[in-house]
Amino acid sequence: MKLTRSWLEEFVEIPMDDPEELVEAFESLGHEIEAWSVLEPTFTDVVVGRVLEVAAHPNADKVRLTKVDVGTEVLDIICGAWNFEAGAIVPVAVPGAVLGGDFTITRRDIRGIPSNGMICSETELDLGDEADGIMVLNDDYPKAAQHIGEPFADVVGFPDVLFDVNVTPNRPDCLSVYGLSRDLAALFQVPLRDTNIAVTESGEPSDLSVTIDVPEMCPRFAGREVRGITVRPSPHWLRWRLRQAGVRSISNVVDASNYAMIEFGHPTHAFDVERLGDTIQVRMASEGETIVTLDDQERTLDARDIVVTDGTTPVAIGGVMGGASTEVNETTTAIFIEAAYWSPPNILMTSKRLGLRSEASARFERGADPSFCLLGADRVAQLLEITAGGRPAPMPIDVDPGHIQPWTVVYPLSETSRVLGIALDRDATAGLLERLTFSVEGIDPLTVTVPTRRPDVRKPVDLVEEIARLHGFASIPETVPSGPGGGLPYREQRVRRVRETLVGAGIFESLTFSFIGASDLEMLDPEALEGEDRAIRVVNPLNDTEGVMRTSLVPGLLKGASANLARRLPSASLFEIGKVFLTGSGKLPDQPDRLGFVFAGMLEGSWHTPARRRDIHDGTGLVQLLADALDVPDVTFAPSARTGFHPGRCAAVMIGDANVGTVGEIHPTVADSFGLSGRVVIGELDLEPFLTDRGAWQLVTPSVFPPVVFDMAFAAPPTVSAGSILAAARRGAGELLEHIALFDVFTGESVDEGHVSYAINFRLRAPDRTLTDDEAGLIRRTIAAEVTDATGAVLRGEV
Amino acid sequence: MTDLTNLLQSVPPAIASAGSLVELEAIEAETIGRGSGIADARRGLGGITDAQERRETGRAINDVAQELTRLIADRRAVLALAEEDERLQTDRADVTLPGRRPPLGSTHVITQTMDEIVDIFVGLGYTVARGPEAETDFYNFTALNFHETHPSRLESDTLYLDYGEQEEEILLRTHTSPMQARYMEQHDPPVFIVVPGKVFRADAVDATHSPVFHQIEGLAVDDSITFADLKGTLAEFTRQFFGKDTEVKFIPHYFPFTEPSAEMHAYTKGRWIELLGCGMVNPAVFEHVGYDPDKVTGFAFGMGAERMAMVRHGITDLRALIDPDQRILEQYR
Repeated sequence: MKLTRSWLEEFVEIPMDDPEELVEAFESLGHEIEAWSVLEPTFTDVVVGRVLEVAAHPNADKVRLTKVDVGTEVLDIICGAWNFEAGAIVPVAVPGAVLGGDFTITRRDIRGIPSNGMICSETELDLGDEADGIMVLNDDYPKAAQHIGEPFADVVGFPDVLFDVNVTPNRPDCLSVYGLSRDLAALFQVPLRDTNIAVTESGEPSDLSVTIDVPEMCPRFAGREVRGITVRPSPHWLRWRLRQAGVRSISNVVDASNYAMIEFGHPTHAFDVERLGDTIQVRMASEGETIVTLDDQERTLDARDIVVTDGTTPVAIGGVMGGASTEVNETTTAIFIEAAYWSPPNILMTSKRLGLRSEASARFERGADPSFCLLGADRVAQLLEITAGGRPAPMPIDVDPGHIQPWTVVYPLSETSRVLGIALDRDATAGLLERLTFSVEGIDPLTVTVPTRRPDVRKPVDLVEEIARLHGFASIPETVPSGPGGGLPYREQRVRRVRETLVGAGIFESLTFSFIGASDLEMLDPEALEGEDRAIRVVNPLNDTEGVMRTSLVPGLLKGASANLARRLPSASLFEIGKVFLTGSGKLPDQPDRLGFVFAGMLEGSWHTPARRRDIHDGTGLVQLLADALDVPDVTFAPSARTGFHPGRCAAVMIGDANVGTVGEIHPTVADSFGLSGRVVIGELDLEPFLTDRGAWQLVTPSVFPPVVFDMAFAAPPTVSAGSILAAARRGAGELLEHIALFDVFTGESVDEGHVSYAINFRLRAPDRTLTDDEAGLIRRTIAAEVTDATGAVLRGEV
Repeated sequence: MTDLTNLLQSVPPAIASAGSLVELEAIEAETIGRGSGIADARRGLGGITDAQERRETGRAINDVAQELTRLIADRRAVLALAEEDERLQTDRADVTLPGRRPPLGSTHVITQTMDEIVDIFVGLGYTVARGPEAETDFYNFTALNFHETHPSRLESDTLYLDYGEQEEEILLRTHTSPMQARYMEQHDPPVFIVVPGKVFRADAVDATHSPVFHQIEGLAVDDSITFADLKGTLAEFTRQFFGKDTEVKFIPHYFPFTEPSAEMHAYTKGRWIELLGCGMVNPAVFEHVGYDPDKVTGFAFGMGAERMAMVRHGITDLRALIDPDQRILEQYR
């Protein structure tokens, strides 16, 4: 909420002049200052003047001649406004004055007669919106008449400081100038000044009779009738304060209600008594009952909403908004000012359901102070006496079936040390609480009586908070406990290893949003959107591109790659580790962690390496690297088909018999839809199989005996996979195989038509002896036989 | 014999003046090779009948041969060295050519930030827990003492998931705090954990907001954890993360699941910056998870990884952190 220092100072003496120190004081109480500024006038040399004479201009009929006493002299000023006569107290910009920073007032002739200054309007002084006529201070600032010739800025209250206070939701008592003053007074240990609310009663008591059918929803209903009202604009000082508080001025009646609410925190509502009649009944709405609210909307209510009625028809939604039928208008002369206390959960529920939040509902839903009802109504009445000629009726209405009384909290002194780590004795503890005007009895435990304005204080820990706040967080020492340890869990270590491996391979981690657009899935995973509806939709997405929880990391990676290439980078290499969201059988969606990567664009060449495009083999190679880095044996690749992938260049990643992911090239059509061209390599793996704890690895001592090294080449049709030939070769080589590498794959003249040649290098070594030529020869024959038997590939030659 | 003696006179200067290995090899062949005088002399030994004389002559031949062989070897070493030197002088590389550099990627700065924060707390005896990102209303709100009508539950703040008919709403967790309740349900005190992870809010992307961001939650629960422990731990963390002279201050605040609650501000780069929210675990949370609030106390805190990274690395627009542009990612190396 926004308020000025001068308003606070009506209730509390502020010991510091520096606004920054006051900001710190607010913060130490838990009231964050979102912003503050010093309020200075935008004018100079504007003084208070008294109009002595007003006469017609001999040569002009739209302006008049005036003589204005500005203390040191009487100025002849020609004025075009007609809303004043002799005797008016006015702001006068004397010659040399500057308005709005750049408009200098000088002596000048108007139709042959000199004018020595200017009598100012609100807009000319940046003090309001009233542009018709000059400011007449007699009623708005009665004391101004005693300060003729003195700076007008002093009359308005410049300089001042405007604070925007962020009051936390637990402190409804601080949603007012008075409430914040109370907290400051407790901090500064100075008295909180009295509210000074008194009305001058006259006439007959109100005829209104009030009945409350639902005291648990409306524990208190108070108010006062005020008669003799003239509805008109509020005086400037009141509008000026509302303006600082960010509230628009409407009329003196509405303004008085808003002013009193900002000042003391209690929302009130004014009914036009003539249209209300003499009965008020508070009850639950009936199902489907309607009311037209002040904003001219028809609202349909249900049995959970509470209404104020005139005995039959709703005239207000209790605590949320008044009805149009009893709204105060220009013809209103008598009003009833309602100041009730409404049950917070009910107010929130109604305002949420109707989508109708008002300043009043915002306060009632957090919890107003039931003890302030009548005071709130009377402050409005008091203001209307001043601003509207109002005459408060005697005997205010106060129906109090809920009898909300202060409550007590039993507080063992040990709670302070148990929670805060500091020991405060009985008197120190009681002293702090008494500064908040909580009353304290007993030695230990204390019995603390909590005023009704503090719904947040119900338990001992709530008192601990108050004690900590006033004692000062800064006065609590700092100690550092050590946890029992446990260290970085193994899984966390492994995930870091995955990342490090990918980074070492030249790939950048990218973090993309966990939701994607349905259109992202149409090409990559259309089944997810239909049938079983594996994809989970966001109920309230911010836009269409964030409407579905990702079932795959692929769309995000493709968009990331595309963004890079669109910025004319030659290539993109990105990875992401994150959750996907799949419909499962449990209460929550399945949320497995995946690892995805993308290669797109052209790897830049160099003087030593030609530029090249990456393909699926870069992808499978990376998975191999990961498997090695994470000690995952038995990773193999099998031809596979996945929607959105190139039908001939897509592999299932297998660990043993388990399919743990896909590596492949994206289908050109899909790539194109993401703005990509050329071969785009994608990998997407379940992360968990790469994190398995395999225990400590055990050293294998390398053999010191010489190896047997040889090459063998096999030819086979393309339908025979290299993987199957290598697997067979491995089996054939047996236990003595130390290393195997496929070092050439080629077709051409020397190879039979329709065949591919695979050249394989073998290194064999025995742990305990030098292999003989006979042994090596036997193994070669075994390899050849195994490969041919298993795959049909034929030995072409050996070296 | 005289010939041999002459060899020792004439050959050594020739060896010494040999200018190349080829030249030296010619001298070697000529003097001690197959067709040389020494070879002839050795062949002539068979013709000497007197055993004594044959022995002496043979020894003399050997002495000469050995001497010449030594001289040749020495000269060869010198020449070889010189020739290699000459060869290397011409085998030059331009060391300023860009090297054959293996590629290097980077982990995301958010990952780095979270890892580093986690490591600081691991050093203080904490361990790491992770939890679901799609979460139940209970763990995200109710167990954390959020009132049923708390405004955070509004669709304007929280993203909800359409997950069929459920007893309670399924949502994208708005903070990492649900793991407080989940972890305490599963573990007895003492509990010292940090919980890094993604969180979600119904916020459009701008310079300071993103619908997806990252938090690190902390929770310490034991039989005697106090607000002093909270202050000390977070001050120590801040010194480790931002530098040992970093000042901190704690300002009262409000969160439903802690009481008293605070915001910690740190003085870094010449200004006070709000860094994180924290507080003593509200007894209501202990009750939800089956802990006895009279027997245990604890503190909890939550910090935004984006915020920590932005403050530390001078990032003023959060959108840089969600941009996959490799020119940004390269800076994370």
